[in-house]
Amino acid sequence: MLRPHWLIPCIVLVAPSTADEGLNLFHAKIAPALAEHCLRCHASDQAKPKGGLSLDSRAGVRTGGHSGPAIVPGDVEESPLLEAIARSGEVKAMPPQGKLPESLVADFRRWVELGAPDPRDTPTGTPKREIWWSLRKLEKPTIPVLTREDKARVRTPIDAFILSKLRSKGLTPSVEADRRVMIRRVTYDLTGLPPSPEEVKAFVDDQNVNAYEALVDQLLASPRYGERWGRHWLDVVRYADTHGYDKDKPRPNAWPYRDYVVRSLNEDKPYRRFVQEQVAGDALFANTRDGIEGLGFIAAGPWDFIGHAEVAETKIDGQIARSLDRDDMVANTLNTFMSTTVQCARCHDHKFDPVTQEDYYSLQAVFAALDRSDKSYDLDPRVAHSRDHLAHQRSMVQHELAELTQLANGDRLTAINLEIKSKVATPTTRSPAFGYHSALADDAETTKWVQVDLGRSIPIDKVILHACDDGFNGIGEGFGFPTRFKVETADDPEFRRSVRTILDKTRTDAANPKLKALTITISGQDARYVRVSATKLAPRLNDYNFALAELEVLDASGDNVAKLAKVTALDTIESPPRWRMENLVDGDYPAAVGESLAKLKADRQTIIRESLDEQARHRFDQATSELKHLDESTSELPAQSKVFAGTIHSGGGAFRGTGPDGGKPRVIHLLNRGDVRTPKQVVGPGAIPLVDGLRSRFTLADDAPEDARRLALAVWLSDDRNPLTWRSIVNRIWHYHFGRGIVDTPNDFGRMGGLPSDPELLDWLAVEFRDGGQSIKQLHKWIVLSSTYRQVSTTNPANALIDSGNQYLWRMNRRKLEAEALRDSVLAVAGKLDLTMGGPGFEDFVVERPEHSPHYEYKLFDPNDPKSQRRSIYRMIVRSQPQPFLTTLDCADPSMSVDKRNESLTALQALTLLNSRLMIEMSQRLAERLGKTSGDLAAQVRLGFELAISRPPTTAEQVGLVAYARQFGLTNTCRVIFNLNEFAFVD
Amino acid sequence: MAWNNSPFHRSGNSSRPTSRREFLWQAGGGLGGVALATMLASEQSRAGIHHPAKAKRVVQLFMAGAASHIDLFDYKPELIKRHGQPSSFGETVETFQDGLGPWLKPIWNFKPYGQSGKPLSDAVADLGECVDDIAFIHNMVGKTGVHSSATLLQATGFLTPGFPGAGCWISYGLGSANENLPTFVVLPDHRGYASNGPKNWDTAFLPSQHQGTVIFPGTDNPVADLTPARNDYVTSSSDSAGLELLRRLNRDHASDRAGDSRLEARIKSYELAARMQLAAPEALDLSREPQSVLKMYGLDHGRSSFDKEINTLEETDAFGRKCLVARRLLERGVRFVQIWSGNDNGFPRRNWDSHEDVERDHGPLARGMARGASGLIKDLKQRGMLDDTIILWTTEFGRMPSSQAGKGRDHNPYVFTNWLAGGGIKGGITHGLSDEFGYKPLDRDHPTQVYDIHATILHLLGIDHTQLTVRHNGIDRRLTDVHGHVIHEIIA
Repeated sequence: MLRPHWLIPCIVLVAPSTADEGLNLFHAKIAPALAEHCLRCHASDQAKPKGGLSLDSRAGVRTGGHSGPAIVPGDVEESPLLEAIARSGEVKAMPPQGKLPESLVADFRRWVELGAPDPRDTPTGTPKREIWWSLRKLEKPTIPVLTREDKARVRTPIDAFILSKLRSKGLTPSVEADRRVMIRRVTYDLTGLPPSPEEVKAFVDDQNVNAYEALVDQLLASPRYGERWGRHWLDVVRYADTHGYDKDKPRPNAWPYRDYVVRSLNEDKPYRRFVQEQVAGDALFANTRDGIEGLGFIAAGPWDFIGHAEVAETKIDGQIARSLDRDDMVANTLNTFMSTTVQCARCHDHKFDPVTQEDYYSLQAVFAALDRSDKSYDLDPRVAHSRDHLAHQRSMVQHELAELTQLANGDRLTAINLEIKSKVATPTTRSPAFGYHSALADDAETTKWVQVDLGRSIPIDKVILHACDDGFNGIGEGFGFPTRFKVETADDPEFRRSVRTILDKTRTDAANPKLKALTITISGQDARYVRVSATKLAPRLNDYNFALAELEVLDASGDNVAKLAKVTALDTIESPPRWRMENLVDGDYPAAVGESLAKLKADRQTIIRESLDEQARHRFDQATSELKHLDESTSELPAQSKVFAGTIHSGGGAFRGTGPDGGKPRVIHLLNRGDVRTPKQVVGPGAIPLVDGLRSRFTLADDAPEDARRLALAVWLSDDRNPLTWRSIVNRIWHYHFGRGIVDTPNDFGRMGGLPSDPELLDWLAVEFRDGGQSIKQLHKWIVLSSTYRQVSTTNPANALIDSGNQYLWRMNRRKLEAEALRDSVLAVAGKLDLTMGGPGFEDFVVERPEHSPHYEYKLFDPNDPKSQRRSIYRMIVRSQPQPFLTTLDCADPSMSVDKRNESLTALQALTLLNSRLMIEMSQRLAERLGKTSGDLAAQVRLGFELAISRPPTTAEQVGLVAYARQFGLTNTCRVIFNLNEFAFVD
Repeated sequence: MAWNNSPFHRSGNSSRPTSRREFLWQAGGGLGGVALATMLASEQSRAGIHHPAKAKRVVQLFMAGAASHIDLFDYKPELIKRHGQPSSFGETVETFQDGLGPWLKPIWNFKPYGQSGKPLSDAVADLGECVDDIAFIHNMVGKTGVHSSATLLQATGFLTPGFPGAGCWISYGLGSANENLPTFVVLPDHRGYASNGPKNWDTAFLPSQHQGTVIFPGTDNPVADLTPARNDYVTSSSDSAGLELLRRLNRDHASDRAGDSRLEARIKSYELAARMQLAAPEALDLSREPQSVLKMYGLDHGRSSFDKEINTLEETDAFGRKCLVARRLLERGVRFVQIWSGNDNGFPRRNWDSHEDVERDHGPLARGMARGASGLIKDLKQRGMLDDTIILWTTEFGRMPSSQAGKGRDHNPYVFTNWLAGGGIKGGITHGLSDEFGYKPLDRDHPTQVYDIHATILHLLGIDHTQLTVRHNGIDRRLTDVHGHVIHEIIA
């Protein structure tokens, strides 16, 4: 289209000062806005600019596209571009991603008013997308060339990169540390424990030139290695043994994931597999133990128990809780494996990194079927295979039965089908009214009773007891049902006269009936009161109780005459709505719906059978008996283990999960501003388009099983072409060795994160690691065997002037011991450390008031209890009430991903190391240990020092400590030794 | 290591003290804040870090379990009129439990107080003397009716754990004014922690010295590890000689390792600990408070044991004691004191979660709270400290105007009350109204949120809430997330 000539005078008419204002506006606001929001689709170097419109030159703007000029200078009414961005008229609203800020729209308007001055004579073209460093393709850099002198210092290729950098900055490398320093440094680094005086002596005296290499191999082969480095991993994934939030309930099956991490590191599992197991181990490595236990990763973080277990998904609060729960899964996955922050995009497109809300919700869609729950699995893959096999056969038999059912017909069948359908359709939300619950008792052998008053003496046919179902402490079905009990009737409310015992289970322990109703038939005896007395209470974690969901009393016509009757009890905790006396007679008990449904289904089978012809009936009977046989075989398999994992949950009541829907993923909508009340379009599973050549939307069939989504994500994460995954892990490992990563923000490689101090070194490590079998132990060796790692940690004024923070590693960094390393060392030096590995976490607290929100009382715990004298990684980690000693010493907060620990030095730390029960007691244990040695006091002090510091004391130290010991005793001296700076720092 | 966490990041042009602080952090290489906070404290507390400050310190009174606005501060005559009639909200309401019973009138009568004539419930009559110092906000809205998340939201500004408490941010921003005491002190309900426990005052990604230090006044070990755990070998002379030996050996060690300021900082931390051992017991000692002061806080009853059932005397003693301790801590330079009323929402109720019976639980709790809080306001005032001390009364959400189980009320996250006093707050006013039932804000489009409260408090402390940021995992985190407006209407 030709430019209309009459436009030109308008520009000429604009006064110079206005032209300046317009031009300034163009440079300040208009040009950047065009580049950011328009030119990707409207530039002249594109084959087909959208609508034929190019906005990358003055001519393009004014000539316009298929529908005429975009802008008419000076005329805001005739400039369709303004209409498009204001979204005010018939012109298609632009930009399509979303409305521009009001202020920017006003800027455009003003600019047009000012004559739309535009200096762009030649088209600028599509803006080049600068690829952020972390997203660039991974390519192996060449190892830098060094001088001959420097070459001699190179032990592993890392040294070449570091030396080259040092020289370019005018820095000189430091000398090598001596063997005493090296054994303490590398032993702490790889195992988190101090070397023993014997190990120090052996290493210092070792004449072999490869003594250090041998030491490193030995340390990497030690099981202590996985415990040390597993702790680092758990910091990032936010592992803990309780849910967090309100009530902070224990998570008794979290630990198999913790042990999985330790084991995987000790086995030097290839990192790719490690990644894949944690996201989709069940799908990729079916029937393997690690494939299931790894899924603990998805559930490792905090979980809003109330928001899930007590608030149904149909409520807004329930939806918020579940949306935030998926957010946590998404954030954990991307932060951990790719050092990428995506969670901002829950509410808006990421401001700094190219993550849109749609990308973000596509990640939520990957986890849409999951909840956090216990997942059952077989430790032995052969058992898992058998179980699978049986399940497969079972499904075939069921298929056969289903086919036979097709042949059946008749009115009775139609009727019962309808009845079943209506029963199933009725929401079976679990009522929060659990039942009656006695006060707690410290002793099982306590008698408690509860009774109903029928109002008058009437003939009773049956008394039925229903047990409770409460997930407290994993008890679940049969919660609070007494171990010994009796049921009596009487006409006397005090049960002194006319008492008839209708069931007596007080002599031997009875099996818990779980949710099976216990029916006592007495055929028409008269009574007004029915009492259940527990004579031996049900055990809880630390105490005992008696609870009952429902007490039914049926008359001859089968009516429950106890419904809504008056209830009395010896005592009751009355904690409504869950526990109160009237719940005993509210007609509501866990199995109520299930029971009647089960009966209907059994009746249905009979009806079907009867309506079949003889041949079909024969097949029906065979299949039925086969099914029974298969179920028996399945029940004979060894019991399954459980891990708390990201899994399909099948529950009742508020916390239903997707299990009842066959594990079908929930439909995920993009949420406007992250608000569940304003859902927008449905989003399918995918990842983020960070990486060229890697598809970010997963093409899966609509009916693809849930795990196909996670499988696709796991494969995407661990793809060779995903540069973030490989850069992320080598940087994390580097960080833990040197105290600072090559990128100083190990959880964030985005635009808000740090830049690599040496990108070539990072990429060299990433590629070598990826292509060399992804061995983390090999990575450790490149690092700890390097000359760089073996430098002294003391400073050097000339270097400090150039690089005071030691960013370029011209010396080694002195390490402050982390909380766990310090605690483990105290136990080890005191001679008390128990090296038992794995299993449920040890508790170093006393639990009080577990019935509502457990109180974890650390101060009541005796640190001399041997069960707690294990390595800190095996501690039961409580989210809401962190362990005070370790927290004061900056241990990781399991509520957030910790990529690097805080490192503070506070008065509270000093107080804790001087005065806490642990330190006071362990000083005594160390003194006792030393007291058992043969030497005199001086020798004992010397040994104590060597155990703690890994070197003999200097004369001055020895003199000072011995003099103090003479005056105040060995125990006080041990307390001083444990507080030395040198105990807390590693050179 | 020296570069941990580059602790002080601010976007935009930072003011001078900020850059100085940043410089010190970098130069100090992980100084750990021990000496640093002191170096910066005095200048910042006077100047504010972004603009001149009106206040220097904060007391937060947190009613755990959700205190009922309509039974205490937010008078609703309409409910008296409609008492007992079926409740109706003109829309579907989701309640936490089943609290949509008939309208329930305020449990207590309301009477006007002060020059402002603000009506208060009889249960908080003791606050009547102070209403002209108080700004009430009746249109607070929350985001959830679940205690844990809602408590976190009011305490940290976020629904999920992993974010620093408001006191941590203020400690971080302003530093200490008395290095012998912690900057942020928490006085929990002595019967147990509220929802989320220490997560409400956790330091999260801020340096750990900004964490709330829990103090249980009047117990054997009010501050954890302040004195040695029970043993038979540490004596005061072994202790002081041991510390002296430790100092000497640590100095020798540090002198061989020049250039690592952490070693010196650790030596200093032991000296500071020793001073804290003297300063803390003195600050917590109420024995020399005159009878007249004890009376203000309701502590003149002379009783040492109480009835088994919940009762006003015991609640007054519990809350008043914390308020008086708070005043002593504030006098000695503590920046932020958080006082909790109410334990873990369990039974028997010693918390504000009155699903069953508002009168039974709220009565004693409210009377005790009102006595302690009014004592604190009056005491600070007579010492000239009210002018630069902000008092914030809050809770995780309100309670429904409809009844639950006859005498109780269910959760109401849709509207509740906060009030503030002192420290530059305009007294005797009410800002933001709830509707005639106290169900939602009168103007639903313009509610007040915790972000606004936090922004206002930071503003009064001389801090721009949008500028106090720390980068964590790729996001510049603030106390007010991406929200918050200073409420200028309540500033004097």
